[in-house]
Amino acid sequence: MKLEFTVNGQDYTLDVNPDDRLLDVLRDKLGLTSVKEGCSEGECGACTVIMDGAAVTSCTVLAIQARGKEIITVEGLEKNGELDELQKSFIKNGAVQCGFCTPGMLMSSKALLMKNPNPTEEEIKRAIEGNLCRCTGYVKIIKAVKDVIEG
Amino acid sequence: MKKNKLKYVGKSIPIHDVTEKVTGRLKYVGDIELHGMLHARLLLSDIAHGKIKRIDTSKAEALPGVKAIFTYENSPNTLYNSHVWLEGMEIIKDERLFSDKIRYYGDRIAAVIAEDAKTAKKAVDLIKVEYEELPVITDPEEALKEDVVKIHSPGNVTFSKELECGNIDEGFEKADYVFEDRITTQKQHHAAMEPHVCIAAPDPFGNITIWSPCQVIFQVRLITAEVLNMPLNKIRVIKAPMGGSFGGKGQPILEPICAFLAKEVGTPIKLQMDRVQTIIGTRTRNAVIGKVKTAVDSKGNILARDIDILVDNGAYFTNGSAVNMAMAKKYFRLYRIKNQRYKGTSVYTNTPIGGACRGYGSPQIHTITEINIDNIARSLNMDPVELRLKNLVHPYDEDPIGGPNLGNARVIDCVKKGAEAFKWKEKWNRPKSKGRFVKGVGMACSTHGNGYHGAYPDFITMSLRLTEDGGAYLKSGIHDLGCGTVTSIKQIVAEVLDIHPDKILAPEGDTMISPFDSAGTQASRVTFVCGGCAKKVAELAKDKLISYAAKILNCSKDDIVVEDGLVWSVNTPHYKVSYGSIVTETQNNFEDSIEVTYTYKSPSNPGVYSANFAEVEIDTLTGLVRVVDFLAVHDVGKAINKGFVEGQIHGGVQMGIGYALSEEITIDKKGRIKSDNFNRYHIINAPDMPNVKVLLIEEGEKDGPFGAKSVGEIAAVASTPAVINAINNALDIKINSLPATPEKIIKALKEKERTVNRI
Ligand code: FES
Ligand code: FES
Repeated sequence: MKLEFTVNGQDYTLDVNPDDRLLDVLRDKLGLTSVKEGCSEGECGACTVIMDGAAVTSCTVLAIQARGKEIITVEGLEKNGELDELQKSFIKNGAVQCGFCTPGMLMSSKALLMKNPNPTEEEIKRAIEGNLCRCTGYVKIIKAVKDVIEG
Repeated sequence: MKKNKLKYVGKSIPIHDVTEKVTGRLKYVGDIELHGMLHARLLLSDIAHGKIKRIDTSKAEALPGVKAIFTYENSPNTLYNSHVWLEGMEIIKDERLFSDKIRYYGDRIAAVIAEDAKTAKKAVDLIKVEYEELPVITDPEEALKEDVVKIHSPGNVTFSKELECGNIDEGFEKADYVFEDRITTQKQHHAAMEPHVCIAAPDPFGNITIWSPCQVIFQVRLITAEVLNMPLNKIRVIKAPMGGSFGGKGQPILEPICAFLAKEVGTPIKLQMDRVQTIIGTRTRNAVIGKVKTAVDSKGNILARDIDILVDNGAYFTNGSAVNMAMAKKYFRLYRIKNQRYKGTSVYTNTPIGGACRGYGSPQIHTITEINIDNIARSLNMDPVELRLKNLVHPYDEDPIGGPNLGNARVIDCVKKGAEAFKWKEKWNRPKSKGRFVKGVGMACSTHGNGYHGAYPDFITMSLRLTEDGGAYLKSGIHDLGCGTVTSIKQIVAEVLDIHPDKILAPEGDTMISPFDSAGTQASRVTFVCGGCAKKVAELAKDKLISYAAKILNCSKDDIVVEDGLVWSVNTPHYKVSYGSIVTETQNNFEDSIEVTYTYKSPSNPGVYSANFAEVEIDTLTGLVRVVDFLAVHDVGKAINKGFVEGQIHGGVQMGIGYALSEEITIDKKGRIKSDNFNRYHIINAPDMPNVKVLLIEEGEKDGPFGAKSVGEIAAVASTPAVINAINNALDIKINSLPATPEKIIKALKEKERTVNRI
């Protein structure tokens, strides 16, 4: 099947199988390995990407459901060699340990900030409620997102 | 200790590969593609106990893209124990790559190799296995009985040991009160976000290279060589980026299998598990049943304590003795109790295998004993803080059973300072609400170790060379599990040498390059022991630098000043030369290298301590518990990297709260695992996590680098009993089985009502 979509600002036309997940296409066909697989059931958030402005778990989205859509992954955050404010804030706040949840966390928080540039702490927590992290207890991650808002 | 002069130690420098992580550029093993690589998947059993009568692989083999299938029929039959990390360890060996006997739901039956992972999975589903089923034991107390089925032929009891100090009977005779509790703790999944994965690749010379997110490279090599009957030198193990471990990737599980497959097929193999397989088919925190009996006088002095611990090994032994002994040791090192006994037994059951899990017995033993301590306080109508302060250990106390001295044990400081910062008294004395939502507070203490000194060989060799451009290259077998080991070690070396940490190259373990390390990332030894070695080797290199500088600058060694990458003589302070120039001149004029190799033996094993304080709010209608406030106080000696230490504690508390409230590998009567993914295995997410506050006690430990002690494991201990104690305080109930799920809380409330009504 033909899949036409945009990923990180670039248009692609790919040949995909009907049962391919968006996760498989991003990782295996486009080499976007920031998209991680932690549970394969939409429960851990490691595979989160932004699809038309909303955070989705790419393990539960079929590739063909992304037809005509615009996808952003962590690889698309950096602009002209400069890291996104969120990425910088994750670094500054020590919000990264093993890093396996980090791309998903970044995508969920980015999707939140795209919709709501001024979220409350509760809204931040809600935005990442589907992103599990075993390393950080979320404390520094929440702080990192808050820091971006407060500039 | 020059407290205020530290330049790099104590600073919150980000983890060394943070940029690669936030950009998604870091390649974890699952992201690596090698030329010609094939993909493997395991078939795990879906019964808990039985013999394989027949395996029909014909349909799987016929699937296009399938390359090979291995079972017990065409794989090595070598018995091994994946817990062994050092040659010469005497231990039960009961594990095989693939077995014809199934001992738990998740036992390994076969591996399929295919062109891609999807095909491998399809093929696995096509394999038909016929079993002759055997009775299933899921309850460790059942396993103790004489007339039950034997899971392994020597019998189900695998270990038993008694340790004692003082005179237990005398202690109990003098008691005004005796308080008994029976507390059970469950199997916990490590839940590293990265599922288990490994790559192995053969080369034309008959070597095999393994890339693994592992904790002990030399252990992976040892076990793999044993299973494949190959010389150690033919196997190279490279520590790959780690997407979290918490002990779960401690024992080599996939590595020997993957190496075997690569050797047989002659191509690189990636062997990957998904979450379900990672939950059921790797390792778990051992479940424990603890019966504790404590004798006190009317003033709250603990006179004697007796404990009976039953450890559920699961289906294979692995660390069934070590984890029991680890609990035993911690038991004697938190309170000054003159008369104490520990009785430990370990048994096989037809359940998931136990193994290392953050805290290694500490969460279990402290959960059991700290709940008991609080129950005592409540019965005596005493503040549990006061009760603890009367009985806790003091700095430099001796271990009553002859273990290493406790060192600068600052648990009393933890409790006192924590109680103040948490406003404990105020919260403790607050009247309980009569409404639907009830608040309560609880606290608990814990101890853990700093390496293996006193139990197993604990040494590491490191080699440090100063480079021609004023940098340094530290060669060692360290492993960064995402906790910041590489950066912390660099900070230690940087502090000694007085160069920026960015000028130091400190690659992680690779058995072909790294000097030997006796134990890897285990036993909370990395900062204390490996950090100690890094400090020593840096001091020796600095000394060598000074010696040659004196020759080059024509002065005595005592006249040399070394600062910020520059060297000069006090006689000629205007003439400063860089470390790099000294290195270069040493090479050219003295034919020598500023390079030192040193083997460091850990000289001691002090205790590390914590006191955690929790406030919970419980919905008495649903039984749901929310932790609304949390303070973790930790005696860390000295934080090498403050941000990392806080990060360890935050994460440890998340794991501890989950252990207290919701995390459990649930197993039905037939041994089937119900909680096999994150929709059925509940770890704490962001909205349910309190904003954990951290307070560090930094009083320095003599043998720790810059005074540092461990933190990574103890971080996950006291939070569990603190939360349970808070629940018990809020509702005046006695939770004695973990996790404290809403159902158990409602049940306890109903029981309380019934008792009250009866009275
Ligand atoms: S892998 Fe998609 S949510 Fe876990
Ligand atoms: S940083 Fe390791 S899972 Fe979040």
